[in-house]
This record gives sequence, C-alpha cells and structure tokens, in this order.
Amino acid sequence: MPVDWGADMGKDECKTMLDALNKVTACYRHLVSALGSTSDSQNLREELKKTRKKAQELAVANRTKLTALLKDKSISNDDRAEYERLWVLFTSSMEILEVDMKRSLEIGQSFPLKVPTRHFIQTGMTGSTTTVAARAMSVQNMKYEADASIDTADLKDLETEIAQVDQMMEEMEMKVQVAPWAVEAKQEAGAELKSTVSVGNSSVGVISVCEEEPKEGGEGEAGLMKVFAGIIFTAVLLIAGILGYLVINL
Amino acid sequence: MTIRNVRDHGQRYRPRMSCLKKMEAVVLEMQDPKTGVKSQTQRLVITTIPHAITGEDIVEWIANRFKIDAAEARAMGTMMVAFGYIYPLQDHKRLILKPDTSLYRFQTPYFWPAQQWPVEDTDYAIYLAKRNIRKKGLLELHEQEQYNNLHKWMNHKWDFIVMQAKEQYRAGKERKKPDRVVFDCQERAYWVVHRPPPGTISGMDCGLERMVDPNQEEIIFTQQCIMRPRVKSSVSIGALVKYTTTYKQHDPFLYPCLPSNPWLTDDVTYWHLNMPNVENPTKMRVERWTFSFGELLSDPRGRADFRLFLKKEFSGENLAFWEACEDLKWGAAATMQEKAQQIYKTFLARGAPRWINIDGKTMEITVKGLSHPHRYVLDAAQTHIYMLMKKDSYGRYLKSPVFKETQKKAVAPEAHKFSEAQLEQNAKKRRPSLSPIILRQQEEEQKAKLAASGPVDITQVMSKLAQKKATEPEQKT
Repeated sequence: MPVDWGADMGKDECKTMLDALNKVTACYRHLVSALGSTSDSQNLREELKKTRKKAQELAVANRTKLTALLKDKSISNDDRAEYERLWVLFTSSMEILEVDMKRSLEIGQSFPLKVPTRHFIQTGMTGSTTTVAARAMSVQNMKYEADASIDTADLKDLETEIAQVDQMMEEMEMKVQVAPWAVEAKQEAGAELKSTVSVGNSSVGVISVCEEEPKEGGEGEAGLMKVFAGIIFTAVLLIAGILGYLVINL
Repeated sequence: MTIRNVRDHGQRYRPRMSCLKKMEAVVLEMQDPKTGVKSQTQRLVITTIPHAITGEDIVEWIANRFKIDAAEARAMGTMMVAFGYIYPLQDHKRLILKPDTSLYRFQTPYFWPAQQWPVEDTDYAIYLAKRNIRKKGLLELHEQEQYNNLHKWMNHKWDFIVMQAKEQYRAGKERKKPDRVVFDCQERAYWVVHRPPPGTISGMDCGLERMVDPNQEEIIFTQQCIMRPRVKSSVSIGALVKYTTTYKQHDPFLYPCLPSNPWLTDDVTYWHLNMPNVENPTKMRVERWTFSFGELLSDPRGRADFRLFLKKEFSGENLAFWEACEDLKWGAAATMQEKAQQIYKTFLARGAPRWINIDGKTMEITVKGLSHPHRYVLDAAQTHIYMLMKKDSYGRYLKSPVFKETQKKAVAPEAHKFSEAQLEQNAKKRRPSLSPIILRQQEEEQKAKLAASGPVDITQVMSKLAQKKATEPEQKT
C-alpha cells in the first residue's frame, strides 16, 4: 500500500510542521507581551523579527502541504477528516499569529526605543526573553546582529508582512472549502493535564508565590494534611498517656 | 474560519471608550523616573520583584498632577484599575484603588484594553487550559463553568487550544522566576478585567453589541444644528437693544402705567381706558401702533382704525382678505371647506366682488391648493397681502388724517395719587371684571356688524361713495 504509506508520511510531516508552527506562535505571543515594558530592548525587537520570519516560513510550508493534501480527491473519508482537523489547527494558529503581528506593529510604533522622553512601562519584568526566542528558533543560543535603528526599520517590514499574511489568509479561505465547525476534536476536556504530569518543583513555587490570597484550590489538600497531622498527634498523645499510666501502675 | 468582521460594527458605536487613549497618556506620564509615581520592590517568599507602587502614592500623584482633591483622585485611580491599566497585587479580584499601602503594578501594553482588539474566546480558552495545567485541574467554580461551556461550543478548535496552551506554558517556563511570576499575575489581571468573576461588574462592560448606531438621530440633529445659519452677536444684540429702547416705557414693570397699575392700587381705570373697542384710545396705545405693523394689526382698536383708513382708500379688501385667512387658520375644522370656498368666491376668483391684487405665481399656487383645501392653503397669498399692506398702506396710514385725528383725540390720563386710606377703600371696592363669556359675545356682535356694514362690492363703491360722504360723522365713531 504505497499510497497509504505516502499518506501517513504526509500526515506525520504535517503534524510535525504544525507542532513547530504552534511552538513558534506561542513563543511569539510571549515576546509580544513583553513589548513596551521594561524588558523591552533592541534584542527583543530582533527576536521578534526573527521569530516572525520563522513563523512565516513555517506558515507557507504548512499551507502548501495542506492545500496539496486537501486538493487530492482520492483520499479516504477518514483521511479527509484528519486533514480538515489539521487545517483547522493551521488556520487557528494563523489567526493568532496575525493578531499578534498587528498588535506588535501598534505597540512597536507607540514605544520607539531611542526616544529618551518615552519611558517604558514599569511592569516588573526585567529579565531578557532570549530563552523564549531560542526555543522558538530551536537553537541553543541566540545571536544578535541587528543595528540600532531596528525598531523603526523593522516596522516597515512588519507592515508588508502583515499585508502578506492577510492576503494569504484570504486566498486560503477562497481556495480551500473546509467547514471548521464540522471538525471534531480528538482531545477531550482536561486533556492538557495528561502530558504535563512532570510539572516539576519550580512551578509549585510559582503557584505559592503568585497567589497572595488564601488558596481556595489548595485548601482541600492543606485541610487533609491538617487532619492527618491532628490524628497522628492525638495518637502520640494517647500512646504517651497509656505508657505513663502503665509506668505509674506497674 | 471564524467570521471576522461582524464584531467591529459594535465597537465603533461605543464612544465612551475614547477615554482609553487619554488614560494611556496618563499611564505613560506615570512612568517618568523623575516626575512619575514612586516605585518599590515587592518582596515575596523567595524572589523580589521591582516596580510595585502603593495605592496612596498613586492617589497622591494623580491629585498633584491634575490639581484635584483626594477623593476625586481615588475615583480616577479606581477607573484605571477597573480598566486594567494597573492591577492590584493583593486581593486581585476586587478592581478598586485602596489609598493605603496595598501594592499595585502597571500592566504591560499588550494587555491594555483596546477597542480595536476584541477579546477573543479562543484566548480565554487557552488561558483557562493553562490555568488548568498550573492548578492541576482545580479551577475556581466560575472558571470551571466557563471552561466546560467553551469546550462545548468551541469543540472544533479544542485540539488547537490544548496544543497552544501546552506550548505557551512551556514557553513561559523558559523565563526566569521573577518574570514568570509577573507574567502570570499580568495575565490573571487581564482576564479578571475582561471575564469578571460572577457578582462583579466589569469596567469594560459596554452593554449589548449593536449593529446600528443608536445615536444616529442625535447625530443628524447636531449636524443640522451646525449647518444652521448663524447671526452675529453684534447684530442680535443690536436688535435686542433696539427692542428694549423702543418698548421700555410701555412695560408696566419698568415704568409706571397711567393712570395707575390696577394690580397695585385696585383702581381699574387703566383697564377701562384700554378696552378693545374703546372710542378714544390712550396715547401710549396709539404710540405702540407706530412701532410696527404687527402691533397695529394685533390691537383691535388699531385694526379698526386701519380698516377705516383703508375704507377711505378703497383698498379694504386687503385687510378683509387677511382677516378671512386668519379666520380660516384658527377656525374650526368643520367649516374649513366652506370658508375656503367663500374666500375664493369673494376674493380670488376672476371678477370677484372684492378681488385682491396678488401676483400670478402666488395666485396659481393658491388656486391649485384650493382644490384640496387645508388650514394653511392660503398662507402664500396671505403673506403677500400682509407685506403689501405693510409696505404700502401702513406708511400712508401713519401720515393720514384718520390717524392724526385719533392721535389728537387720544387720552393721556393723569397719574393717580392715592393715600393710604384711599387705597384701602379701593381694595374694599374690588369687583370682578366682565365675564369672558360676555366679552366674547360682544366680540361676536362686533364682527357681525362689520360683516353687515362693510363695503362688499367694488363695483358698487362709486354709488356708495356719495352715501358715505353723508354718513361720515356717524362712521367716525
């Protein structure tokens, strides 16, 4: 069945590419949320630029692949449903990417880097976003080579890129006839909890640090611990009392 | 593909969101290291995070900047918190500004409220999924409900939401601990503003989504107001000054009326002297007729005088027509048709007994309108005749012997000088004036007399002329 094997290959390829696009979109969103704040810097602008370019490459690659797959009339119904699901994943990613690009343009324009009278918002974030960008680009360390005028020069590129993305999405709407509401998700509610079991200790610390009011969610657990401790304590007391009684009596 | 542009329509018809741009400017001012709000460090269990500000510092800064008192500054600060520009670090669900040492922090521009970026449910779903991961499945009650709802109706995107939530969670972990804490607080604050917990009001609540602008009529009205022709204040004030100088002596509030104000002295001579059909009017009354043509016509005695003058000039039909038009305008609807026909027959038709002289165009319009008569069908003709009388006859009337005679015979009563005792006497002698019913009857009688005695036919006027000369002394009364 060379056809099926080819189709499986196509599906796997698609999935990996979509995962990559998904990762880049998530990282891009993180980076855009740092714009205009005290962790904004020339490096951040460069990171945004690079991440954006990568996202676009992935988007184009995904699109060509998926449109090719969907145009193929000889695929089975199950395959078709799967491709439609992947298509919905792709378009949702693109929508988020488009909005984030537009927002980064707007915020980038309102917060130019070099104007001394324009102060960044003191949000409390002071660290750099290198690691996030490195994750997006799938590299170990980021190299920075841009010049000082990146904030203004990049904005023009950004505008053209936004126009390109808009156009691409319109074309996609025209060419591919997929009804997104007809797609059934494979994951059920709460699926995100399953593969992130190994949450790690650091995030536990984060939870306790961010919540400064009494934890409603944690109360159940804490209460249980208290009851347990109480039981042990009373048990110890009882044993001590019994032993003492025995010692006195014996 | 989500339907994208429908929501935009609603956003444009929410003008009160124009405060957002102004608030952004204020927030930017607050960032200045020299003149902005003083910031402190927030000490948590393990980490320290800078850029925390106290509520009292915010209130003080706002009060100084805008020169307002503390209560108003607090209200303004609360607005900033309610919209999400500043978020509280303790008690994060209550979006108010407490003017004590409770800590706040500025929100990053990405999470600022903006009219052009509608808050998407997809983003909220991703946020809830992330929170689910963080809290290991123990969401708050309202969050859990929202989560279930979103899962139901956004089911087709659910894979994407899960994937994106996981990726965003992992991307968040790449940052250093303090930044991670800040980002979580920021995101949580953003969603408290835009998806408020039940029982709280959202500052971003704009009511129902509208497809049509509810203020459209008001907008048209105000646009027309702008386009209205405006009069220079020098002109309008000049007119006001002219009016007041002309009428000031005739105003009983400003000048004592002669002989005495009946309301003050209980002596009704003034009213008797100024009855509508008195034979000899007072000098003041006659003076008022010279102010404008409208004054002359609105005073029944003046109109009678004018009518007399026109009779002598043989142009009485103008005034008669004008009066007939007034009658039609203000009369009962039942008799309207009949009256209109009568007027046409008497004044407008060719060869009519009292034919009035109006220009061809007005005649055409009037005759056309008379086929379907209504109250104002003779308006054009009436205006024409009014202007004719005003420009032509009025001037001649004021120079005529009729008027001069009336002026000569006008009464100028002396001012009364009552003593206290006399005033008391007057007060005791107070009687109610003539009943309006009787007055109306008198009016009707007068009208009937006029209709019967007035010259009807212009063709017969020559023969009547001789008769008039004989009856002149009688007619003068």
